[in-house]
Amino acid sequence: MKSAKQETVPIASSSDVVLARQKVRQWAIEMKFTLVDQTKLVTAASELARNALEHGKGGQMVIEQVENSIKSGLKLVFEDRGPGISDLDAALRDGYTTGGGMGLGLGGSKRLVNEFQIESEPGKGTRVTVVRWK
Amino acid sequence: MESLLQAVVQTNSRVAIIDITGVPTVDTLVAQHLLKTITAARLMGADCIISGVRPQIAQTIVHLGIDLAGVITKAKLSDAFALALQRSGQVVTKVNGGNGAGKRTLLRREE
Amino acid sequence: MERIPILRMGQFLLVTIQVDMHDRLALQLQDDLTEKISECSSRGVLIDISTLEIVDSFIGRMLANIAAMARVLDAETVVVGMQPAVAITLVELGMSLSGVRTALNVETGMELLYELRGDFHSEMGG
Repeated sequence: MKSAKQETVPIASSSDVVLARQKVRQWAIEMKFTLVDQTKLVTAASELARNALEHGKGGQMVIEQVENSIKSGLKLVFEDRGPGISDLDAALRDGYTTGGGMGLGLGGSKRLVNEFQIESEPGKGTRVTVVRWK
Repeated sequence: MESLLQAVVQTNSRVAIIDITGVPTVDTLVAQHLLKTITAARLMGADCIISGVRPQIAQTIVHLGIDLAGVITKAKLSDAFALALQRSGQVVTKVNGGNGAGKRTLLRREE
Repeated sequence: MERIPILRMGQFLLVTIQVDMHDRLALQLQDDLTEKISECSSRGVLIDISTLEIVDSFIGRMLANIAAMARVLDAETVVVGMQPAVAITLVELGMSLSGVRTALNVETGMELLYELRGDFHSEMGG
């Protein structure tokens, strides 16, 4: 049982992406999310962690349990200090690109969560915050 | 959606018939949901046939510009059922009872 | 280096993915499969993902790539056993894997492979 309501997972290699998935899965199970919701959350985490690694050259994921007046949920924040994204609109648009592009990662992940926020500036890195409510 | 997909797994079904006779209107949201369900079922290895498509719904689908490419639709549930049987190599035939007990139908796999 | 084992079953290859793959392992599988299809002149590949609880866009692309590469090598690919939660999520992600054949389980998958690329003995004799 976790007493801390937060956990940080560094993302520096492709095995960290797997670790990120497993951690999110553990938290989602503990919070009793349905199987489909768990799967959506873990898949979104996989996409975003991979982005942080491939495009952001490494970073970290912070998992946090959140509550509002009526419900509880899981918040994931992915942060990297990579090159940043110059055209956010293009990045969020669905488009599978070979080599270098983010393909379905961002746009797709957005549909897997309830709240999605992205902050990015060329040269300043990227932060993606997502929340899935129970 | 989940219950349909779970049922597909539990019954080992290769075909799922989605009957929308009782659906009063089809808007973009409903159509999108249907398409997602069909795609998910296909990913699992099951085909879907939509039946009970009334003329008004057919019109709405065309007006909304919804592309049902690759989705098989049948107006009557019985047509959908017959197609599903055909696809799994089965046929409904009549067999005469021994003592003139009348006709019986049984399902038989086509060899 | 860990690798996902590929079993040969006559003219077909069978792969069962049971581990949460990191990207390199997935790419290794792609390589190994295309090699083996060529080496064994396989007619078909069955990929069992019934225990995979996550299929993200990377794995999805891997499956699509395998199917495409296999086809160029004259082999059919059938992916079997996708879990409902995984299918729902993949669709939401925006992947339909339209170029990949699917079946419910290994048994129906093999049936499909035989249907598609079964024994060609009679053809040889004629």
